[in-house]
Formats: sequence, C-alpha cells, structure tokens
Amino acid sequence: MERMSSQSFRMRSRGLTAVALAALGLAALGPEAVQGQTDPMVLQIIDEVDRIMRGESSTGRMRMEIDTEHWSRSLEMSIWSLGTEHSLIRVENPPREAGTATLKVANEVWIYYPRADRVVKLSPSMMLGSWMGSHFTNDDLVKESRIIEDYDIVISYEGDRDGEDVWEFTMTPRPEAPVIWGRIEQQIRKRDRMPLWAHYYDEDGTLARTMTFEDFRDLGGRRVPTRMVIEPGDGEERTVVTYLELDFDVGLEEDFFSLRNLRAGR
Amino acid sequence: MSRVGNVIWWRMAWRNLWRNRRRTLLTASALSFGFVASVVMIGFMDGMMEELVSNGTRVVTGQVQIHAPDYRPEQSIHDTMGGREGVDVSALIALVEAQDGVAGAAPRLYGGGLVSSGDETVGAVLMGVVASQEEAVSRFGHAMVAGRMPGPGEIVVGDAMAETVAIDVGDEVVLVAPAADGSTGNDLFTVSGIFSVGVGGFDDRYALLDMGSLQELMAMDPGRIHEVAVSVERIRDADAAAARVAEAVEAISPGLLTESWSVFQRQLHFVTSMARAMNSIVAVMIFGMAIFGVANTMLLATFERRREFAVARALGASGGAVGRIVVYEGLLLGLVALGAGALVAGPILVYLHGNPIDLSSFVGTYSFVGSAVRPLLTVEYSWQGPLASAVALVGTGVVSASIPAWRAVRMPPADSLAAR
Repeated sequence: MERMSSQSFRMRSRGLTAVALAALGLAALGPEAVQGQTDPMVLQIIDEVDRIMRGESSTGRMRMEIDTEHWSRSLEMSIWSLGTEHSLIRVENPPREAGTATLKVANEVWIYYPRADRVVKLSPSMMLGSWMGSHFTNDDLVKESRIIEDYDIVISYEGDRDGEDVWEFTMTPRPEAPVIWGRIEQQIRKRDRMPLWAHYYDEDGTLARTMTFEDFRDLGGRRVPTRMVIEPGDGEERTVVTYLELDFDVGLEEDFFSLRNLRAGR
Repeated sequence: MSRVGNVIWWRMAWRNLWRNRRRTLLTASALSFGFVASVVMIGFMDGMMEELVSNGTRVVTGQVQIHAPDYRPEQSIHDTMGGREGVDVSALIALVEAQDGVAGAAPRLYGGGLVSSGDETVGAVLMGVVASQEEAVSRFGHAMVAGRMPGPGEIVVGDAMAETVAIDVGDEVVLVAPAADGSTGNDLFTVSGIFSVGVGGFDDRYALLDMGSLQELMAMDPGRIHEVAVSVERIRDADAAAARVAEAVEAISPGLLTESWSVFQRQLHFVTSMARAMNSIVAVMIFGMAIFGVANTMLLATFERRREFAVARALGASGGAVGRIVVYEGLLLGLVALGAGALVAGPILVYLHGNPIDLSSFVGTYSFVGSAVRPLLTVEYSWQGPLASAVALVGTGVVSASIPAWRAVRMPPADSLAAR
C-alpha cells in the first residue's frame, strides 16, 4: 500500500492541473518520498485522472488569447512535451513574436528572443513575472508540477453540483512548501475524471485566480478539455488557451528539449 | 504739529547724532557691517539654491513637464499622453516652444528593460528621445564622453552602465523590454555614445534610444509619448512659464497635466523653501545682536543728555517730543548705516557674482537631492535679501532707540535738573 501510493504520486496530477498546463509541462511527478495527510482516496482519483493524459510525449498547437485592461493579443503556438519534466513552446503567430520560444526542463526555464537572437534563463526573481504577457506566471510553468509535494489534499465535497456528480478537492500548502497560494480548490467530474475548475486563494483567503476548463473533446484519441480560461481575482482580465491540435506518443526523446532546438524557430 | 516744527525735530536729531562723531561712526559701522554681512550671506545662499535648482532641473527633468494626468506616480507605460491614440507630438512641441519664457521642449518615452552584452545584463530605464530637441532641455547631449546621441537602431548609455556590461561605442547590445501590447520587445542595438552627467543615478541606470526605435521596441505608435520636458529661460520664472504652457496645451490637447519643477521636484523645492526661510533667520540673528549693542550706545547718549532733555521739558516741550527726537536719531543712524552699507555691499556682490570663490581645494563636488553642487561660493542677485536686510537695519535703529526714548520721556525734568 505504501508502495502503491508512492506509485500514484509519481503518476499523478496531469488531470489535476489540466491539460493545458500539462502540455506546458506543468503536471509532474512527485518525488519518491512524499509524506503528509493527502487522502489515499484522492491519490487514487488523481491516478485515474492522470490515466487520461498519460502519454510519454505529445505535440500540438494551441492559441492563447490574452485580454487585459490595456491591450489584447492572440498568439498561436506549437508545443512539444515529454513526460512532465520537458516541454518546448514556440510562437508561430503574430509575426512580431514568431520564433519566441520557451523551454522548460525540470525546474528551469529558458526563453528565446529571436530578434535579439538571445536566450534568457529565468532567474528566481523573474519566476513570478508574467509568462508571455499572459495571466500565467513563469512560476506556473514549473511549480504546478510539484502540487503533490507542496500541498495536502483532501476531498472537501463529493456529490451533485448542477446535475453533475463531482469531487471537490481542497489543497492546503504544507508548512515548509515554497508556494504563493494559501489554498487551492478544484472540482473534478466523476464520469470522465475531467477537471471543471480550480480556484486559487492567496494567503488572506481572497480568491486570486480562477481557472475554468471547457469544451471537452477528443483530440489525438483522448478526451481532453480543449479550452481553459484563467482569470485573475477581479475577473476583468483573462487568458484563454485553446487546443487546436494534440497528438500523443509522438516519439520525442529528451535530447529534443535542448537549447539548440529552443533557438531553431527562425 | 506744524510742518516746520516737524522739520526742526529732525534737524535736532541730526545734529545730536553728530555731536559725538566717533561714537556715531562706530555704531553706524556696526550696523553697516551687519547689513553687508546679511546681504552677502543671503546672496551666497541664493547662489547655492540657484545652482542647486539649476543642476537639479537642467540635467534631465527640465523646469516644466507635461504628462498624462495619471502618469504619476505609477509611471505605467500605458499612461501615454492622449491615451492610446496619442498626441500630435510635433504640433505639441512647436506650441510649447512658442510660449514666452520657454527655451526648449523635448518629447520623451520611458520604458524599463534589460541591457545585455555577452554574459552581463543590467536593468535600465529606457528613455526614448529626439536628440535635436533634447539638446535644449537636458544635459545628456552635452555630457557625452564618447560618441554621439542615438539615431535609429542606436543606444546611448551612462559610463557606469557601460562599465558594468563592458561595452564601448560601436558594440552591439541586446535589449529586452516589456512592450505595450504585452509582448516582450527584443532587438539588437548599436552603442553610439556614452554619457556621464555625474549625478542623480543617471549614469548607471539610464539608456537613451531614438524615439522611433524605442516606440517600435515597445510596440507603440509614433504619437505615443509619456512626457514633454520643457526648459525655461529663467528658472525663477518657471511657475509663470508653466502656467502659460498649461493654458496653451489645454487648447489643443485638453486634459494633460502641466507642472513646474516646484511640483515634480518636491524635495528640491522643499530645500530651497527652507533656505529662503533661513535667510530671514540669518537677518534676524545678525540684527538681533546689533539691537542690543546700538541700544546700549544710545542709552548712554541719552543718559548724558538727561539735563538737556529736562531743560527742554521745563521750557514746555512735551515728553513725546523729547522721545521722538531720540527715535529720530535711531532712524537717522539706521539710514546713514544703510547708505554706507549699500556702498560697500554693492561692489562686493558684483565682484562675487563675477568671481565666485572656489572652494574645490577644500571640498569636492557633492550631490544633494539629486542635484550636483559645485564647491563654488557664488552670489545671486535678488531684491529680497537686500530689501529684508535694509528693513531689518532701519528697524534695528528705531527699536534700539525706543528704550532710551522711553527713559527720556519717563524721567521727571525736576529730578534730572536736580541731578538726583
């Protein structure tokens, strides 16, 4: 049993934090030794959710639309990922930004600026900055992959919500966890283990960010939420990520996720 | 009292004053010296403040600035003048430059970014400028230690920054900066020059780019700028010039905020206001001391003449008339001292104005509230200093005479005559 749950930890969490983040490389494997009070039932659910997205490598295209008080813009990007530790995202459109690319390997992130032909490795102080001007932080690229390590997770609700049988998880950070959220709540529907939303609260308990998952469709042979909306607390701004294409088990190797490939865009 | 009678009292006072010529000259000299000291010290203080304000505003800020109303204090890159549509920059500049008392105006765009060369990266304030217009407002163009102001695709940095990232004129640097459309502007720029203004943290933080190049990097239209900096012909008239500029600008681009340096350089304004208050304190202290010295002398002079006053009283002069003579004496003494003081102070001021005392062998140039102060003791002409000193001087004469006058009035004539 001990061994089993450890296995689950390693599998976990792609579904938990959603497909989009998974493709960004956000879902991840926990370390071997995880203690804490996460409900074994939760781990089992996570394992099942994870099954949906389990695939060693994937590739696809997504559109990211960002609306802010001062500007709006839409980006089309190609994505590649391997497991949870490796991902590469490259902007294809608009032309002004085409070739701009992000490489994530484990906890490190590099960004390539094509006009300046420059690779910038993000320093710890830059991790809370916005990723590509969206409402994702750079930290989201790496931190989400540590949810099971950093949070205790319990089922806070199980049953019917708006005619849908769901679980609701409450994730509370462990005392030493290096996280910025005070609490995360997430809803998952039982019938196909699809995440429906996640609410992020700051340390004062104020709702700071909402993610909503929509448009569940089969892409690349798997059912996934193809649209994800992320809104900061006040709900006046938003980033929408839409999957246009997804393919799984495309045979990428680790050496694909190199600085050389990061710059290969143009 | 008749006019003739009045003149007689003045005459008597004048004669009394010169009955003891040496004592009067000594007393008047003390007052004159106080006057000269006061005027020159206030002149020095004004000179220092003028230098402080001049350096504080001529390096970068100018004496008048125009912004979008909500640009300060956040200085968000989105708060451009005229909103997202921007303004007709050349029309605005031409209009501002046409105002009375305005020496020049320069448009500016600000951003933040990373300047990199090789492995070295430094955070910088990116400032989009039009080199030809900047000349009349800021010191950058005059402070180039190498190269020249930036043209399209070029960048100019301070010498401290150049040292940090190890670049020189002709080198290529990478610029990465958040753009107004949420993207990250990035491009290569050639270093066209290096400046060294010496103060205010500009040399290690500021990078100048051609306006158009920075607008492109930051994905902004040509009409979008954050600031128009204005230099005035005379700093003292900055507030008046600011008012004229504000009125003219309101006519073509309503809703913009025009401020003079006394608003956007609050610290500097505070310091100069303090200094002005100090001027009065200097005058008060100098003449405060003088009052007691002069009063003592005049007390002695009236005491010597107590019999004389008693005779005058006995012959029918009122106590008020006797007291008035003494006050008149004080007043005349003040005026004599003022005349002498002015004759001495005038040439000293003129000389010091043209030949500042160089203290650089004792102290180096120092930076104070963002302004460089050269160790030069120079004086600035103003009416306030001499006027305040003159009033204080004459006031001193009158006040110090009033105590002896009061005694002269109070002294019963019979007692004085009886030498009791």
